[in-house]
Amino acid sequence: MVKKKYLLSFTPAIVNEPLTYKMIKEYDLLVNILRAEVSERGGRLLIEVEGKPSQMNKGISFLKDAGVEVRELNEYVNRDEDRCTDCGACLSICPADAFEMDKQTWKVLFKGDRCIACGLCIDTCPPRAMKLRIW
Amino acid sequence: MKRTYEEINEKIKKGDVVVMTAEEVIKVVESQGLESATKEIDVVTTGTFGAMCSSGAFLNFGHAEPPIKMQRVWLNGVPAYTGLAAVDAYIGATELKENGDLDYGGAHVIEELIAGKPVHLRATAYGTDCYPRRSIETYISLKTINQAYLYNPRNAYQNYAVATNSSDTTLFTYMGKLLPNYGNATFSSAGQLSPLLKDPLCRTIGIGTRIFIGGAKGFVAWEGTQYNTTVPTKNGVPLRPGRTLAVIGDMKEMSTEFIRALYFHRYGVSLAVGIGVPIPILDQEVMKFASLSDKDLFAPVLDYSLQSRNRKPLKEVSYAELRSGSIELFGKKVKTSSLSSYYKARVIAEKLKKMIEEGEFLISRPVQPLPEERSFKPLDIRSKEEV
Ligand code: SF4
Ligand code: SF4
Repeated sequence: MVKKKYLLSFTPAIVNEPLTYKMIKEYDLLVNILRAEVSERGGRLLIEVEGKPSQMNKGISFLKDAGVEVRELNEYVNRDEDRCTDCGACLSICPADAFEMDKQTWKVLFKGDRCIACGLCIDTCPPRAMKLRIW
Repeated sequence: MKRTYEEINEKIKKGDVVVMTAEEVIKVVESQGLESATKEIDVVTTGTFGAMCSSGAFLNFGHAEPPIKMQRVWLNGVPAYTGLAAVDAYIGATELKENGDLDYGGAHVIEELIAGKPVHLRATAYGTDCYPRRSIETYISLKTINQAYLYNPRNAYQNYAVATNSSDTTLFTYMGKLLPNYGNATFSSAGQLSPLLKDPLCRTIGIGTRIFIGGAKGFVAWEGTQYNTTVPTKNGVPLRPGRTLAVIGDMKEMSTEFIRALYFHRYGVSLAVGIGVPIPILDQEVMKFASLSDKDLFAPVLDYSLQSRNRKPLKEVSYAELRSGSIELFGKKVKTSSLSSYYKARVIAEKLKKMIEEGEFLISRPVQPLPEERSFKPLDIRSKEEV
């Protein structure tokens, strides 16, 4: 089993089709919706997918064939280490506990793999160390 | 046991001084007792690094050819106050750029100057017989400017509030983002490392005390604004925001490691300042306070959704609880965030310790103690007759 994050972009023409549902069903994948947005320009869906690698590849190809733009997402936000002052303002804001206080060194650790892409840390960080990578 | 400033400085000069950080000394007093620790340790160093809005810099630009009496000054588009002499200005850390954005201000100009970057200077004038020039536009840097020093009217607050939010919307405050329904709590003091909490009566800290500020050696210039001694105490230490310091230091010796521009979303700009104060262990009482730990120091939890100066604390919590990552409020676990960097506070206390051990930093006896009694007066709407 592998776990990956994808950002899917749907054009207005295909926003109404249950493509994600079909992918889940047909390829037996576990999908966690992290973020969803629909506007005049279409829809965007940020998902975390878990499943067998072969099924995952097939599922993603299915989406691409259906006209969905698919981008694998390794980082939603990243931290400018020079600007981070290790204050910890982000600790109580992040819903995914992606920030951790190391109680030995009192440095704030950023565990990007836990990020669920909510974006809350960006305007929380007073020295502006958290930067948006996508969306 | 008594010890004098002179004795301590003699030891520093000889390289015999025993210095410990306010964190280290806690363990020593726990293990060997107050009396023996007082005998052994000469100086305890403290540190703090957090948002200190009441900060700014006096700048003297030097004279132009032909000279100008600057009436309006902008640095990178941020107005500086010029109601001083011809080429002096004061740039406040929280002053905003004149374009409506909240996220660039005086603090950024100060940080960029300290980083050695070029800063755009524009000035206008009305022109006089001795100062004929009416405008100037140029670049300055810390290298080219005549003088630049930080003068911060209120820094190093003795204790501060813990902020939380009972309302059902997110609040954007100078205490950071406060999530609805007591979703989180933020605090600001460095607790057991914080200068004025470790010498709560300011027995050793006064006007003229040499301190570490922003990476440079500076001084306590005066009592800080909003200095207040009339607050309840616990273990002899104020439970509410109490005393403050006005501090001064040469920007040309500072480093961006200890000065950092901040932007609080939908609130505005502030400046994070790193300050360290050495506490000479003159006697056992000074040591007793200097060795108080996060378990012994408490802060009030305030509901920032109540927009009144009279809000009552919901409860008092220790810095040990705050630093554990959560506190309990109405039976619910509430995650905590520090706004000041304990990591940097530690770096400062360590650095100051090293400077004293290596003979680079002498302890100074205050020229004048800070006020023993002073209350913080509110501003009420009054008529001419009532004042
Ligand atoms: S809020 Fe920003 S500066 Fe503070 S620890 Fe988090 S990432 Fe670092
Ligand atoms: S974007 Fe959200 S989940 Fe990701 S690190 Fe920031 S606060 Fe945490």
